[in-house]
Amino acid sequence: MDKIAVTGIGVVAPSGIGKRQFWANIKSGRSFIKEITRFDSSKYPSRIAGQIDDLEKYSHISERLLKKIDAFSHMALIASEMALQDAGIDIKNEDPSLIGIFLGNAIGGWLYAETELRDLYLEGREGVSPYMASAWFPAAPQGQVSIYYGIKGFSKTVVADRASSLMALGYARKVLAKNKLNMILAGGMEAPVTPYALLCCNTYGALSKNNNDPEHAYRPFDKKRDGFVLGEGAGIVVMESVNRAKQRGANILGYISGYATTCDAVDRINCAPDGKELAWTINNAFSEAKVNPGEIDYISLDGLAIDLWDNSEINALKLVFGHRLKDIPLSCPKSMFGNLLGASGVVDMITTILAMEHSLVPITLNLDAPSVNGLNYVTKEAKEYKIDKALIISRGRGGINAVLVVEKA
Amino acid sequence: MEVKTKIKEVLVNLLKVKLDELKDELSLQDSIGVDSTEMVELVIALEKAFNVKLFPKEVTKFSAINDIEKVINSKSGK
Repeated sequence: MDKIAVTGIGVVAPSGIGKRQFWANIKSGRSFIKEITRFDSSKYPSRIAGQIDDLEKYSHISERLLKKIDAFSHMALIASEMALQDAGIDIKNEDPSLIGIFLGNAIGGWLYAETELRDLYLEGREGVSPYMASAWFPAAPQGQVSIYYGIKGFSKTVVADRASSLMALGYARKVLAKNKLNMILAGGMEAPVTPYALLCCNTYGALSKNNNDPEHAYRPFDKKRDGFVLGEGAGIVVMESVNRAKQRGANILGYISGYATTCDAVDRINCAPDGKELAWTINNAFSEAKVNPGEIDYISLDGLAIDLWDNSEINALKLVFGHRLKDIPLSCPKSMFGNLLGASGVVDMITTILAMEHSLVPITLNLDAPSVNGLNYVTKEAKEYKIDKALIISRGRGGINAVLVVEKA
Repeated sequence: MEVKTKIKEVLVNLLKVKLDELKDELSLQDSIGVDSTEMVELVIALEKAFNVKLFPKEVTKFSAINDIEKVINSKSGK
């Protein structure tokens, strides 16, 4: 299967909106995890997150539309606009039936839904906005982006827990490789910092309860880890065939060359501890990319900061890379701004492409004492490495494995 | 407050459109491009604002503000 070019990046994250601001903050290794201030979260076991409080400053969306959509659609619209601008694409000059939208989301738009459900119980059916029906569900951002730009081609929304957006990128790549579309806006968005969504994530039991020290709470692969921290945001990229990108003189930012996904099939929530299925997934992606493990020079980790999941991930990497694993720089940059659930995979890819461009591996924050020694974790400060080929891992509840191979432009 | 002014106030507050976008003689579809869901919201908001009951075909996206004014006046006995 042909490589697919990434030619535009749009990112909306707690650590920055727009790729310049995002990268400057990622490079610096700062934490953007804070106590939740959007609502009273004092009774929640975990009440810290990576929040975005100044979305309006970056928005081109009218008030008239804003009242009809949830924050996750708003983030997707901002990220799409940034990606198109970055790619130098004016939608008016494109054939709308040959553009697709492939987005991932895990939980839907609850900020909107919760308000309307409260009004349903307080005021009855007439208290509910008629936009509720089209605002909350996971495919709503896909619909809003398509309406906003008049995009009419084959599109999909993937719901696969935290692996959603990496899967969306994988599907988008397959569709483009078959020459079915000219270009795709692909990625994901998530807005889980709402009273009910936060409650659901707390019930899952995987969130860090280190509320007194938010900046040090998310510590994947560290001995003192106690779970991950939520974050909100969106990442959307422009993907197109290498030929088309070159023909129109686009600035190619990176290539997606391999993708694979599998299920562990062992538990309703947990992954398989041995990591064998994940290892098999990684090998599948390598054969699709025609890359051998020896060529990989950076690994972007899923890093859930739960013993079982982190250990399973490292077990998989040991199976794939053997003794060479100790030489490959590993990191989990989302430890700085939170796990964006359904949008986490695409933001990891964006981080990886920026890391390739700058030949700089960002850190895993708070990884002071690794639970597994002898690996090349990048911690404390970003390290210079020339990265040509990278592996990105994204996993979801129930043992969903998704991996992507990305190559430098 | 004059009925027409109040209708416009409801439209501006509800749909977040600008007052000068509203044209008395033009249908809501032609002046501000309302969609069907906005119409559902609008009818409910007008019912609340004027304390009247509006039936589905009385106020539609093809109605101009002048038409809506007539319907509301006929309901409130003006």
